[in-house]
Amino acid sequence: MRRFGVLLRKELRELMTVQMLLPLMVTIVMFGLIGNLVGGQTTEGGGATAHVVDADGSAASERIVGSLADAGFIVVTSPGTDPAVAAAADDGPGTGIYIGIPAGFGAGLASGQAQKLTTYTVMRNFSFFAARDAAALNAALDAANRSASLSMISAATTSTDPAGLRDPISLSENVIIGNRSAPVTIAAVTNFITGQTTFIPIVLFIVIMFAASMIASTVASEKENKTLETLLAAPIGRAPMVLAKMAAASLVALVSSAAYLFGMQYYMGKLGAATGGGAAVAGGAGAAMDQLGLTLGAGEWALLFASLFLGILVALAIAVILGAFAENVRAAQALLTPLTIAVMIPYFLTIFVDLDTTTPLVRAIVLAIPFTHPFRAAPALFLRDYGTVWLGIGYQALWFAAAVFVATKVFASDRILTLRLGRRKSAAKERP
Amino acid sequence: MPDVLVVDRLVKRYGQVEAVKGISFSIAPGEVFALIGPNGAGKTTTLRTVATILHPTSGSVTMAGIDALARPAAVRELISYLPEEAGAYKHMTGESYLRFFAEVFFADPELAQAALVTGRRIAGLGDRLADKLGSYSKGMTRKLVLARALMTRPRLAILDEPTSGLDVLNAIEVRDQVRKFASEGMSVLLSSHNMLEVEYVSDRVGLISRGELRAVGTPAEIKERFGAANLEQAFVAVAR
Repeated sequence: MRRFGVLLRKELRELMTVQMLLPLMVTIVMFGLIGNLVGGQTTEGGGATAHVVDADGSAASERIVGSLADAGFIVVTSPGTDPAVAAAADDGPGTGIYIGIPAGFGAGLASGQAQKLTTYTVMRNFSFFAARDAAALNAALDAANRSASLSMISAATTSTDPAGLRDPISLSENVIIGNRSAPVTIAAVTNFITGQTTFIPIVLFIVIMFAASMIASTVASEKENKTLETLLAAPIGRAPMVLAKMAAASLVALVSSAAYLFGMQYYMGKLGAATGGGAAVAGGAGAAMDQLGLTLGAGEWALLFASLFLGILVALAIAVILGAFAENVRAAQALLTPLTIAVMIPYFLTIFVDLDTTTPLVRAIVLAIPFTHPFRAAPALFLRDYGTVWLGIGYQALWFAAAVFVATKVFASDRILTLRLGRRKSAAKERP
Repeated sequence: MPDVLVVDRLVKRYGQVEAVKGISFSIAPGEVFALIGPNGAGKTTTLRTVATILHPTSGSVTMAGIDALARPAAVRELISYLPEEAGAYKHMTGESYLRFFAEVFFADPELAQAALVTGRRIAGLGDRLADKLGSYSKGMTRKLVLARALMTRPRLAILDEPTSGLDVLNAIEVRDQVRKFASEGMSVLLSSHNMLEVEYVSDRVGLISRGELRAVGTPAEIKERFGAANLEQAFVAVAR
């Protein structure tokens, strides 16, 4: 145990270099800067300008202007009668929004005839902000349309419920998860779950690849820098040797991933606020989510962490074996390709496919990959499907034990010094 | 006193290639035994096998009465191995490199500190011990790794080309260190291409060629056996 501690300190010192810490710090700072930039743009862009080319000047066109103002637009009345001409003269910056209200618009509505508004949107970029402004414009005009519709219905009938006449069927959506039900839209639930779990596969993917790359490099660099033989002849057990490398790499990976997670959450939080995205939806539907049991307790978080951490450990153990076959650091990175593919398959499947709907063969193959299980753990926990999570943890633990066993055997055998993938013929000749 | 190391009919194959073909030799306490032979003769394979980092195909290696094949971990407590091209961790300073290995070998902080003091003295690098190893010359690195190998005062030091990369003055200093430690009871198994060095530092010599030990004896005995004026001539006779 003492020697394990000495080795662990050595491995940590080897990994925590300026070359490793500097890019990490830069990444975190960049996330912060971009987040602040996005946040700043939100504040500045909170009141986008809508140019109204009003050829009518009626009370109805005033209501359109009112709807736009209510939606947060700064309304500017442009001269002329043709919005296309006004839009063509737009010299930016930012998205230019022009709404043309034709002459006779108010009178037409008053006589019960449908009228047409024309909009021109000058797009200068394809950012979230351009889409946000367009969506806000549509919402404002929908509100104006609804208001006009209600006015026309009121004028045309004696009904005391014009809203009922306009929308005679209303919808009360409910979602059932397990044996719990809540009055909430499926979109709100999806947004909430996505908001909670979006980062998990991304960060897990980054951490696994980062940690695997680190440990394979440390093993390969022991060979490349001719330090391995000295270490192997020192009184250090092979298992502590392998485990110290893994412990150091996983510690560094965890610290790095926490830093990345913090940076990404900061950035995504700013982005979510800027685009009026899922965060607000999830926040508003919080009570319904509690009712559905879609909040994780300490036990569930612990299970999730165990599954994620085991995924990292399995990757590390496999990377040690792959690194042991490499002659140098560059070769070690190339040898990690199979591991990368094994992580990418469940990563993309988690994002794009429901594994339960695939064919049994595909499902069996994907489930056989140990990295599938940490990606499945979070959704399973939200569904209180503990069996899936525990089975995944057990399966990963078996993989971990097997991989550490093989890695220890490789370190205890001649292969650590003699084996070179793809160079078997020459290896024997080189040794004596 | 019983021999520190007994190598008995050691065979090592790499696939179809038999690198070491049943060699036997032993080393007494405080004795310096040198293996000399041409490139590819099996010297490094023998040294690596004694150092427990290669497994013999057959035969045995016994270190202070311990079967190295059955209990390699116990043997590693008693030996120290200096590979021919030993590197050092470039992110470490010379001081932290020596400290790391001192702490690996000794649980007792006082013993570790004593080893560190010895290591500093053998390395003779003065203030440069505070510098990162990445800034060391080849010669400085060699002195440091040699200091690491000797500072723990092992029962057997296995030194593969100990003075490789050192200038004449440093090489002489290293030989003196090896002799001094041997006089204090440490046994040494070394390989070298420098016949002058072998003649100066070794008590006995083993001439190895094509995986076979062709002759074992003191430098004087070897020279007499091959009718050679020096070890180099004996070496040439064996190599051809």
